[in-house]
Amino acid sequence: MQTMLGKAANTDWFGPLAVVIVAVVVIGAIEPTFLSAFNIQVLLSAIAVNLVIALAQMIIIAIGQMNLSVGAIGGLVAIAFAGMMEVWGVPAPLALVLALAIGLAGGLANGFIVAKTGISAFIITLASLSFFKGLNLGITEAQPFYGVPDAVKAFGNTNMLGPIPWLVLPAAIAGLGIWYLLAKLRIGRQILAVGGNPHAAELSGISIFQTTVWAHGLSGLLAALGGVMVVARLQIGQPSIGDDWLILSFAAPVIGGAVLAGGHVSVAGTALGVVVVAIITQSLVLFHIDPFVVQVVLGALILWAVGINRWREVRVERRLRGAS
Amino acid sequence: MQPASSLPLGQPRPAGSPSFVRAGFLGGNEFGLIVLIVVFATLFSLATKGFASPFNLFTLGRTMGIDILIGFSMMVVIVSGGLNLAVGAIGVCAVMAAGYAMETFGLPWPLGLAVCLLVGAALGAVNGEAIVRSGVHSFIITLATMSIFFGGMVFLTRAEAFRELPPAIAAFGKLRLMGFLSPLFLVAVATALVLGWLYRFTALGRRMLAAGASPRAAEVSGIRVDRTIVGCHILSGVLAALAGAMLTARHGAAIPSMAGHLGQDWLLPAFLAPVLGGTLLTGGKVSVLGTLLGAMLVSMLTNGLLLLRVGEFWVQAFLGLLLLTAVLLDLGRRRLLARHRIAV
Repeated sequence: MQTMLGKAANTDWFGPLAVVIVAVVVIGAIEPTFLSAFNIQVLLSAIAVNLVIALAQMIIIAIGQMNLSVGAIGGLVAIAFAGMMEVWGVPAPLALVLALAIGLAGGLANGFIVAKTGISAFIITLASLSFFKGLNLGITEAQPFYGVPDAVKAFGNTNMLGPIPWLVLPAAIAGLGIWYLLAKLRIGRQILAVGGNPHAAELSGISIFQTTVWAHGLSGLLAALGGVMVVARLQIGQPSIGDDWLILSFAAPVIGGAVLAGGHVSVAGTALGVVVVAIITQSLVLFHIDPFVVQVVLGALILWAVGINRWREVRVERRLRGAS
Repeated sequence: MQPASSLPLGQPRPAGSPSFVRAGFLGGNEFGLIVLIVVFATLFSLATKGFASPFNLFTLGRTMGIDILIGFSMMVVIVSGGLNLAVGAIGVCAVMAAGYAMETFGLPWPLGLAVCLLVGAALGAVNGEAIVRSGVHSFIITLATMSIFFGGMVFLTRAEAFRELPPAIAAFGKLRLMGFLSPLFLVAVATALVLGWLYRFTALGRRMLAAGASPRAAEVSGIRVDRTIVGCHILSGVLAALAGAMLTARHGAAIPSMAGHLGQDWLLPAFLAPVLGGTLLTGGKVSVLGTLLGAMLVSMLTNGLLLLRVGEFWVQAFLGLLLLTAVLLDLGRRRLLARHRIAV
């Protein structure tokens, strides 16, 4: 028992899971409406969208880089998705495919430039952030698209089963897909290997170029999915979609134990990180606390999480040194 | 941070070889930027009516002054091999604190400016201490503090601007010297001179460069790298606060949203200027003149494109492309130089 608990305590998901359980029990006891069906539905919708956004960043953290353009790709895809349906009357399923293709292309372009030039992904994605956001504003002139079909609106605002909204479905597929990819598939193992130690990965025959391009492509695809989901939830294609994704996209993976140097990420940890953020945001609303405090709490959460991760690293190092 | 950071970015140039005296300046970023500035200034004056008018030169100089300071606030941290995403948040927090002090306690503007710079220094110190003590990369620390500073500021001010500032501030923003020159531009030039002096002639500046070039080597040669990095962040905070103060002079009010959500609007100009100017992102090399020229080029292109009626929304897409082109050109130039050196 002792060892099982000890083992669990060393996993990435244990800390966030403990926080989630304690938070749900405490907040539920103080404010019973927190566990009402309506509130659970609101929570799950937020969690579904934010999970996809966090995964888009997590896959890049896995290769030891960062993607500042996640929000800009999501925003561009969101207005493209809504715009295609409103202006050209493209049917929703086709618009979805085209929208995801735009995200994939944006991500692949990021990856291609990063891998080809060897310039820091930070600078490349900062440039592409500005480019995608500029395209977004140039197309929309900062005006939203309102002509979103009812089917799409319904997808974003109705429930699949009990209090579980439909939005959970794509998020779950994305989460399981990324988990399977990282745990079982060749490309996933290669992404983690490149993130862990690029030189060793290259020596063992992995193409850093291809791995980087695919990781960024995947990130773009997930960002696009996030953009489409936000359009379904908000029922309009707003140009400002994606503006506030940056902090969140880093917060959840880091809370979930991701190592920013690359090579180590956890889908379960990231999902729990998203849940922690959503619960805190939601409870601040429930207790009528100023919404701007959310920003402060988010920032503090990141610091707290990197502190914990750092402490765990130091402990592991000490144990390894003691063993040898 | 990058798998490819081992690429040939910035080996030391062999001294004394004659071909490098030429390559040193004519092939350098500063010369390229001067050429680009002259070319675009000529193009814009020919293609638009208003570009060379005294009023446009005045507004352009004002924008340039602010953009240069924003670029400097990032440059001084890049020198140490880190970065500071919180520059925008610090700039806005500092002027909001000063705005509060001036409006509520009736402080005269010099004391207001002092409050502004002190708050900037304090927030920079918080960043620096957090980075040094935790050993976590400055990216993630400043990402977190940007959220904390900005959120805290909006919470305290209720997102309301301070508009009842001493009239001298707005007057300084409107002041025109010789009909076309904004004093804000002169402030930026003066700051550039101070920074140039710092990096070239003072032990502190040399320590900052050494800490960025190789922290281990610096540590071994007796530099307290931790203290130096905190120093870089304090300087960054002060410069961000000064940029905020200049923006306040231009608006005539301290406005919480003047750097966008979380101060994100400053990020692109903050990185554009040093990167265009040839400051290495890995640290250890700085070009104050390059950053100044880089910021001037960016402000001038933005201004010229707006006069050409490109539409302000497309300008942002263009600036993104510009940053991309700049880093690609820089890479090409370095590779060419490296090959040339092998051939010599």
